[in-house]
Amino acid sequence: MMDQHEDPKFEQWLKNAARTYHTPHPTPREEMWKRIEDARRNRHVIELRPWMRWAVAAAAVLILGIGIGRWTAHQPNAGNGTTTVATADSTTPAQYDLVYQVAATQYLSHTEAFLTSFRADLGSNHAAKSARFARQARDLLSTTRLMLDSPAGKDQRLRSLLEDLELVLVQISQLDAAHNGHDTELITQGMNQSNVLPKLRSAIPAGPVPVRTQGAL
Amino acid sequence: MDESQLIARVRAGDSAAARALYDAHVDRVYRLAFRLAGDDALAQDFTQETFIRAFDRLGSFRGDAAFSTWLYTITTTVVLNGLRKVKRFRQRETDIDDAHDVGIAQRHAEPDLKTRLKQAIDDLPEGYRTVFLMHDVEGYTHEEIGAALGVETGTSKAQLSRARAKLRVALSDFAGEWVT
Repeated sequence: MMDQHEDPKFEQWLKNAARTYHTPHPTPREEMWKRIEDARRNRHVIELRPWMRWAVAAAAVLILGIGIGRWTAHQPNAGNGTTTVATADSTTPAQYDLVYQVAATQYLSHTEAFLTSFRADLGSNHAAKSARFARQARDLLSTTRLMLDSPAGKDQRLRSLLEDLELVLVQISQLDAAHNGHDTELITQGMNQSNVLPKLRSAIPAGPVPVRTQGAL
Repeated sequence: MDESQLIARVRAGDSAAARALYDAHVDRVYRLAFRLAGDDALAQDFTQETFIRAFDRLGSFRGDAAFSTWLYTITTTVVLNGLRKVKRFRQRETDIDDAHDVGIAQRHAEPDLKTRLKQAIDDLPEGYRTVFLMHDVEGYTHEEIGAALGVETGTSKAQLSRARAKLRVALSDFAGEWVT
């Protein structure tokens, strides 16, 4: 029995009309395959250590604990004056390492979202968006340089990725309102040549989502 | 060589077999990613990520269902999660200038069918839109859609029906075109 909402004429018309919606380009097989191969090759060398999946969660709890401790310490009349306060001095080197790894994960996730959005918005390169991207790139650039000087930067492979990102972010941060499409095209070409997005995604551990995406995605 | 032999060779580290498997499926994956994302760069990113994940996880593919079905599950997961990330990022970063742009865009009068249809499809809830594009535009069966999205076949049919009903209302100005 025909459903009351069924209308074969409308459905056929809709199917025909909807073919124009997001009509795909010819599949760029070779370009994608090259990047897939590169990413698979790099996946085994860049990826953060597997134990980080749980360690990141543990570190998040640790950071939360320190945060609560500090907050509690600053509360007037908190308890009877004998409250034990967690301080940075009590943090062991291993805990510092975890904190840096959490920061690295968050930074990488944020940068991935930023670069993905930048590439997707290239078609609409008007002044306001360029200014916004440049501003965000400058913020991320500061973090990138801090990361390069942090213990995270001692990992040679992560360092190499951070240096690639630094280069891309410098270029985006220099976009101005008067830029032309050629500038963004050059940046995108550079991103593709250095395979920076697949490398970036490979470096983000598939850890607990709230930690992985906090403040970023 | 059939597909199960090809998969066994990919598992054994045969890169030529990996390329053959990629060639056999990349068109449909890319097309679906493009239909959902509407952007070539994003579609390429999502397609790459789909195959990278598929090759990494090939060991967990048991062969209970067709390889293509398993691959479309990864595709829809990658694309829908990726689009949510981009959407959240854009929403968070939208500034006053962008809001102004939206206002300007809305002043266009009498949009043509293509524009109205695009808007109507974009406005569908994510589940309806995904099912509609997979079924009516890319020709997936309800069984394939159900497997890819992890829903019952009946749910896929119901979502398609609701999607069409919403589109019918949104495009009612063009009713003359389908009645004739």
